[in-house]
Amino acid sequence: MPNSIHVTVNGVETPAQLDQTILQFLTESSIEIPHVCYHPALGAIETCDTCIVSVNGELVRSCSTKLKPGDRIDTISPDVKQSQTMAMDKILYNHELYCTVCDYNNGGCEVHNTVKAMKINHQSIPFDHKPYEEDNSHPFYRYDPDQCILCGRCVEACQDLQVTETLRIDWDRERPRVIWDDDVPINESSCVSCGHCSTVCPCNAMMEKGMVGEAGFLTGIAKQTLRPMIEITKGVETGYGSILAISDMESAMRDERIKKTKTVCTYCGVGCSFDVWTKDREILKVEPQMKAPANNISTCVKGKFGWSFVNSEERLTKPLIREGDSFREAEWEEALALIAGKFTEIKDKYGPQSMGFITSSKCTNEESYLMQKLARGVIGSNNVDNCSRYCQTPATVGLLRTVGHGGDSGSIKDIAMSELVIMIGTNTSESHPVLSTRIKRAQKLHGQKTIVADLRKHEMADRADLFIRPKPGSDIVWLSAVTKYIIDMGWADEDFIHEKVNGYDQFVASLQGFTLGYAEDQTGLSRETLIQIATAIYEAKTTCILWAMGVTQHIGGSDTSTAISNLLLVTGNHAKPGAGAYPLRGHNNVQGASDFGSAPANMPGYERVDDPVVRQKYEQAWGTSLPEQPGLNNHEMVEAIHDGKLKAMYLKGEDMGIVDSNINHVHSAFEKLDFFVVQDIFLTRTAEFADVVLPAAPSFEKEGTFTNTERRIQRLYQVFEPLGDSKPDWQIIMAVANRLGAGWNYEHPSEIMDEAAKLSPIYAGVTYERLEGYKSLQWPVAPDGTDSPVLYTEGFNFPDGKANLFPVKWSIPLQFPEEYDIHVNNGRLLEHFHEGNMTYKSKGISSKTPKVFLEVSPELAAERGLRDGTLVRLTSPFGSVKVECLITDRVQGKEVYLPMNDSGDAAINLLTSSEADKDTDTPAYKEINAKMEILRQEGVSPLPRINHRNGNPQPQIGVQVQKKWARKDYVFPGDLVKKGAEALWQKR
Amino acid sequence: MAKAIRSVQRIEITEEQKRQQDLEEVQNALIDSKDSILEVLQTLNHMQERGVLSLVSALFGQGDKVMDILVKKADTPETANTLKNLLLMVGVLGTLNVQQLEPILLKVNAGIARVADEKDSQEKTGIFDLMRSLRDPEINRSITLMLNFLKGMGQETESLERTTQLPENQLQHRTPNHQLK
Repeated sequence: MPNSIHVTVNGVETPAQLDQTILQFLTESSIEIPHVCYHPALGAIETCDTCIVSVNGELVRSCSTKLKPGDRIDTISPDVKQSQTMAMDKILYNHELYCTVCDYNNGGCEVHNTVKAMKINHQSIPFDHKPYEEDNSHPFYRYDPDQCILCGRCVEACQDLQVTETLRIDWDRERPRVIWDDDVPINESSCVSCGHCSTVCPCNAMMEKGMVGEAGFLTGIAKQTLRPMIEITKGVETGYGSILAISDMESAMRDERIKKTKTVCTYCGVGCSFDVWTKDREILKVEPQMKAPANNISTCVKGKFGWSFVNSEERLTKPLIREGDSFREAEWEEALALIAGKFTEIKDKYGPQSMGFITSSKCTNEESYLMQKLARGVIGSNNVDNCSRYCQTPATVGLLRTVGHGGDSGSIKDIAMSELVIMIGTNTSESHPVLSTRIKRAQKLHGQKTIVADLRKHEMADRADLFIRPKPGSDIVWLSAVTKYIIDMGWADEDFIHEKVNGYDQFVASLQGFTLGYAEDQTGLSRETLIQIATAIYEAKTTCILWAMGVTQHIGGSDTSTAISNLLLVTGNHAKPGAGAYPLRGHNNVQGASDFGSAPANMPGYERVDDPVVRQKYEQAWGTSLPEQPGLNNHEMVEAIHDGKLKAMYLKGEDMGIVDSNINHVHSAFEKLDFFVVQDIFLTRTAEFADVVLPAAPSFEKEGTFTNTERRIQRLYQVFEPLGDSKPDWQIIMAVANRLGAGWNYEHPSEIMDEAAKLSPIYAGVTYERLEGYKSLQWPVAPDGTDSPVLYTEGFNFPDGKANLFPVKWSIPLQFPEEYDIHVNNGRLLEHFHEGNMTYKSKGISSKTPKVFLEVSPELAAERGLRDGTLVRLTSPFGSVKVECLITDRVQGKEVYLPMNDSGDAAINLLTSSEADKDTDTPAYKEINAKMEILRQEGVSPLPRINHRNGNPQPQIGVQVQKKWARKDYVFPGDLVKKGAEALWQKR
Repeated sequence: MAKAIRSVQRIEITEEQKRQQDLEEVQNALIDSKDSILEVLQTLNHMQERGVLSLVSALFGQGDKVMDILVKKADTPETANTLKNLLLMVGVLGTLNVQQLEPILLKVNAGIARVADEKDSQEKTGIFDLMRSLRDPEINRSITLMLNFLKGMGQETESLERTTQLPENQLQHRTPNHQLK
């Protein structure tokens, strides 16, 4: 090995690797070195000094010292021990050890464990209170300065990992402390509640409020009693040894009643996994783990704190049956019998094609598989779809056309290590928060360059090295022009194209019209900007392109996605680490819902239903005959209802009546259905139209797997029993199928996965054993369990192993009559999810963001006399919304932004049309214009003052430990020891 | 034509039904854990006989108040010192070598017995009696023992003290594994 060297540890020569710090090396060699501030996700912070060792006779911090050949390392000499003890003493000066009555005494407290490991029995500098109050202002976590050891982990995480840049340590005070923004209460700062700080805090200083007073046996005691108890505990201390022994016992007892369950987040497609700590049905906290493959220790506000909906009183707990003007609660028996009877009747009368099935991208892979098996194998209809139709199907098509797999080329790690990241139509830091942190970190610390193309100046745009605002719907034009310019300049990767790509000449010819001048006219971007983009791609060794709904939800969404992949092929940015195409999947299981065949033309694994060989395989396995023709997608189902062809629908976990476009049209379709079954955890807008509503169980109440945007399959485990009479979706679908004579007999979701894996080649090697705990697999997975973190390294997914350049044209966006002069952009907010069914249930989130608002530009505000809180009506040719305005320069001119988080009068899809992507029927949500009228001019801002958007971030690199070192009262313990300053030490 | 509706008629459970359900649940639980329940009942009876039950009942009934009083009472230097000494004594006990101590303790016992027997003796001992006593083998053995004890007591043991010394001055922290042996 080129990097292998030899070093001497405590007199013994040992082999080692270069590019390691001494702390990493020693820890890996099972030599325990105390350390408190070091965290594997954050690296060396250098504040605690407890990891001091002697290297070649010099006392140094092992966390930040790189290993060199021939190093002589001493970890046991009295000097080393003395330095470490002095450092720990400084920590205990800032932290009171009352472990037994501390909520953080759960075995993971680094201060406790280090004191124990170092066998420290006393401290020479006694603990001294800091002159600050606890900050309890924030709904989700609190800061206790008195317990804060000033290690700076939270600051490091906030500044350089999450990169919200809110936290700092004010080193200039007599007693330093963590401060938010320019020293305001936590809740009034720019804090986005991502929870990183409370996750990385090594002690009880920064703690989730769910834990406070709940985790320990004695910690719920009233404050007035607690203080004397702490005093006794301290008074009794004969040395920490015996105190720690008692608190260790108490901590072990906590394991009896606190349950820790690994689960996978059900918000966006990043696929964060973490442990959920619960006591009965109470959620104490969410604790992400280093071993979580997509997120490590990262979370966003929704994943960390947005789970109260699971215990909401509004949860459905019994089946509901429509009776006259209201629903009636019923038992399962009655509901299932009714469904079976109606389904059979309708199928017999109108045929299987009169029925439609819609599965959910919130549900598990196994549930998606069962839904399509029910539709195809039991009913005999290919009318099955899922909500990826509303978002990412165009991206899948673009990739299937060019490279062969409908998924991200690599992992989030590849995005982080890429030299250039281009984001098109993706509001990444709000829609895929944890993924965006990897880009922000790489940009801030490692010189990654970013280009953002968007209408709206969101956070990623604000941070971008180049931010461009092309005219709405014109991305394909500038992408093609940049591609053409790269080819014209001779910057194309000729070797790559020659070796791995088909159709080059034809493709070059198709770009003929996309000159810089043409692009300049159509997109509004200058020639210089276009050249700048082309040059950046040419100069970067690796480029990733990320895109989302801003690209796909247009009438040419598939073509623009194709153009992105074409550009990557021309520049050789496919099939290698750190590069490729990343259509960011919006829900936790958008990827999996499609992977498992909930699509009208695809069986699981994207094998076509009209391929007789494929059909035969499934017919044999299922023992039934299957319909040959591709069925209706959900857009077509709505039309078929209006045409009187579709009579019954079974829809689960999808609030189609809010999230589909042109919902007035969708609602009137629902009203025409003969029989409508909706399965959900709440009585959603869609469920209001149902004949039978079935109570489902959310992810916390079942097992299964999800597939994230990286094609990564992960297991979730059951945290709670299903609430009331609700049931996991897979059990409900099975019950419905069996009423119809299916005879299914699955006792656990793993059996469903086993069946699917046998049939679908890309999932061939997937088993629950290989996914145990935090283990994951990225498809395609070979039968022996080998997975594929980076796609196409062995060739593209076509018979000849070559990619295809696929010529595309520009579809000019929808044009509206002049009176509709406002362009209504729409999308997500960080803290709410979709129509808000789940996130509005969180009191904490709702207190800071209680309702939706319309972002209007200062220019438009000036022109129309709009203020914060002005109530306006927007009217499109398809409907109208009423919403209050918020003036912000995130939007410009006559472009407004309406987040999709409302299911009432401000629901965006009251405005949108039924126009759709010409290739996939994905609604053109982003092509909508409206006219605006003022309903009420004066009002209160819909966004409270207490909201992170009103904060005042303070960017800096890390915790700025140099400022600590420069303090008069700081001396490096190693220097003290070296000087033999025993006397000096004793005096203090 | 299925219009959107929101109202839900809940299944109303009458009080009687609810009672019946709860009763069934309790019955099942009782039957499932028959053996432990019977044993607990027996224990409870014993506790009742000895009046422990009413004590415990009062204690829990006034839990917060009692806890508060207890804790505040305990939060005095004397109590803390008692607890502290207890913990310290336990630590010191752990360092005694009982095997070596046993013969000495036996001797001390014998000495005490002898003294107890003759505590009222009016006999006086002069310097010559003392010298003569040295010839008595029993006394001579005692004296030799005591001299050795004095020698041992004079040894340097500061580095072994864990309650007064800084960790870096403690012998055990100078060994690689922080153990004394």
